[in-house]
Amino acid sequence: MAMALVNLDFAEELKAYGVDTALECFNCGTCAAICPLLFEHFPRKMIRYAHVGAREKILEQAQDLWRCLHCGLCTRTCPRQAGPGELILGLRRFVLAHARRA
Amino acid sequence: MAKRKKPESKSEPASAPRVGVYVCHCGGNIGDAVDVKQVCEQARRVPGVVMARDHMFMCSDPGQELIIEDLKSGLVDQVVVASCSPSLHETTFRQVMVRAGANPYLYEHANLREQVSWVHHGPEATEKAARLVAAAAAKAGQLTPLEPLRVEVQPRAVVIGGGAAGLKSALDLAARGQAVVLVEKSPFLGGQAAQLSRLAPGGETAAEVIGELAAAVLAHPNVTVHTCSQVTGFEGYIGNFKLKVTRKPPEGMEYAERLAALSRSGCGLGEFAPFAGVMPGAIPERAEEIDLQAGVIVLATGMRPYRPRQGEYGYQNFPEVVTLPEFNRLLAAAGEGGTLILNGRLIRSLALVHCVGSRQIPGIHEENEDGYLNEYCSRTCCAAALFAANLVREQYPKTRVFDFYRDIRTYGRGQEELYTRAAKNQAVFFRFEAGEEPQVGKNPDPKGPPLLVKVKDVLTFGEELSLPADLVVLAVGQEPNNIADLVAMMKIPVGADRFLQEVHPKLRPVETAVAGIFLAGTCQAPLDAGEAVAAAGAAAVKAAAILSRGYVELDPFVAEVDLSRCTGAGACVTACLADGALSLVEMEVGGQKGKRARVNPVLCMGCGACAAVCPENAVNVQGWTLKQFEAMVEMIVSDEYLEGKR
Repeated sequence: MAMALVNLDFAEELKAYGVDTALECFNCGTCAAICPLLFEHFPRKMIRYAHVGAREKILEQAQDLWRCLHCGLCTRTCPRQAGPGELILGLRRFVLAHARRA
Repeated sequence: MAKRKKPESKSEPASAPRVGVYVCHCGGNIGDAVDVKQVCEQARRVPGVVMARDHMFMCSDPGQELIIEDLKSGLVDQVVVASCSPSLHETTFRQVMVRAGANPYLYEHANLREQVSWVHHGPEATEKAARLVAAAAAKAGQLTPLEPLRVEVQPRAVVIGGGAAGLKSALDLAARGQAVVLVEKSPFLGGQAAQLSRLAPGGETAAEVIGELAAAVLAHPNVTVHTCSQVTGFEGYIGNFKLKVTRKPPEGMEYAERLAALSRSGCGLGEFAPFAGVMPGAIPERAEEIDLQAGVIVLATGMRPYRPRQGEYGYQNFPEVVTLPEFNRLLAAAGEGGTLILNGRLIRSLALVHCVGSRQIPGIHEENEDGYLNEYCSRTCCAAALFAANLVREQYPKTRVFDFYRDIRTYGRGQEELYTRAAKNQAVFFRFEAGEEPQVGKNPDPKGPPLLVKVKDVLTFGEELSLPADLVVLAVGQEPNNIADLVAMMKIPVGADRFLQEVHPKLRPVETAVAGIFLAGTCQAPLDAGEAVAAAGAAAVKAAAILSRGYVELDPFVAEVDLSRCTGAGACVTACLADGALSLVEMEVGGQKGKRARVNPVLCMGCGACAAVCPENAVNVQGWTLKQFEAMVEMIVSDEYLEGKR
């Protein structure tokens, strides 16, 4: 796997997909602890990728985003009001806009 | 000099000892493992013992009353308490003796808890307890009344070091009416705090903190300040220290940076100059020596920031890698704007690295030039780094801050708030494991920032991330200043971490093992300015208490020469471990002139090295004489008092 480049401009890019809270995260992991569909490091790793702007990683592992059924528990329990549930939905929109043909 | 008080205690021991033994159950601490009743019964069979009693808690008021009643009624003359460690309650029971009108040194302590019940079980525990009690009783029967040594105190304190801690100690001592001499090596007052702009976590400026302290010290009539001065000679003991201080102009490039900062600032003498401190007077033109006498000494010799090795996180390989103190200077010179600009360079991306020069692990991290590893946490750098992160994020919102930490230890009041604020300020955190520190290198992208920081990030589940950075700031730890000369002269214990060591971290936190010498501030441990000043205040109070009393009393467990036996062989003087405690002096004994050993009781540590080598057995440590030891050994090996002993 290629080394991801930290790029906070990605948070700006995400605003076009309805997400403006990517940088509010402080990596506590509450979203993962509450998620009923927790799978390996989903959803926490995806949130972290968005946080540090690991754009390519998100595109590489995009199918994980569809594990979410948007129950909203993570958003309700997030101590930083970083809206992880909405962030996942925003990332889906971002991925769809950049979908690559297989 | 030391004077003996005349014995005034009424309980001179009768010719035959009358020893009372008091055995404590310590709740169940002793009683659960030791048959206390049996120990009492066996103690009664020890020659000289007239009474043995037990109590659930001998240290309680009713327990103490038992002893006082027996002493007052004349039943017993010497007392043995068999309980916990003497370090806990020996003083308590000596005071019981005093309250009963007896001499406190007619007391012997036996430790049945740490040395018996906590480490042994069954019949062996009770037997060992009985033997220890018998030995203590045998010694008690040989005790003679002693009087504490009384030493007059020179009415002056010397404070070594003119940083925040030294200034505070000097000021508090002066405010209590004591004369103080403050000795500072550099031409400046203010120490390391003066090298900062704002002090974490509260954000007070160094100018106001140091400016206020230094002005108050310089204005106080009780304080004499010697800058450019170093202690070069030391002798004496509590109450009577003699110091030689050498005052001389700085050599070579010493303090050149701070002197330049002073002239740039345009400040005059006595004024606070940023990144220099307060220069109270002109630099001397030639060296001079000053002799000082002092009753107490406060050490406030301070710390220095860790200086990274060349190449450590790219330090000195890349001009864009600086330490946090260096960054503070750069920041103070920076203008306003959305993006931080340093030396004409836009800083869009700033990386902070924690634990630089701290928490180093043998086998993982490289030793410093002098072969040391700083295994301790420097405590203050987390708060200082986060404080800087907030400052940058709030004043230069377009400069992004990336924080690389091993652990974040914002332990103190107002510090966790710094972390929360940094998170709210959208500082982005990365966590690394020990031994997998971030690698700082040149950014291969020529269009990007000059540096690339690579890290195996725990928060991204161990994946490697790389961050293009315009500046890398190293949050360096604290190291004690090199005061090897002072340590050698004063014989102050030093910890494995090279900081000076207190007697007890909780019960005697600002005292050194050398009576009359106190610790203030970062010479003792990494501290922030507030903590250093708090410690300095504590040291000042301890020092002032000695000065205002005017004399000190010391335990009389010191060597004593029997002049009827001494032949002046001098073996004791050679064996003596405390400089000046024993000497051969010309004197007249029984009409004959000759050299005989003489003890300076104040310098004597009571170690007994002299007693061990004297060919005539003419020297003994009071309260621990060879005769007393022999009596103890005899009882330990005797079986006579043990019931049913095979």
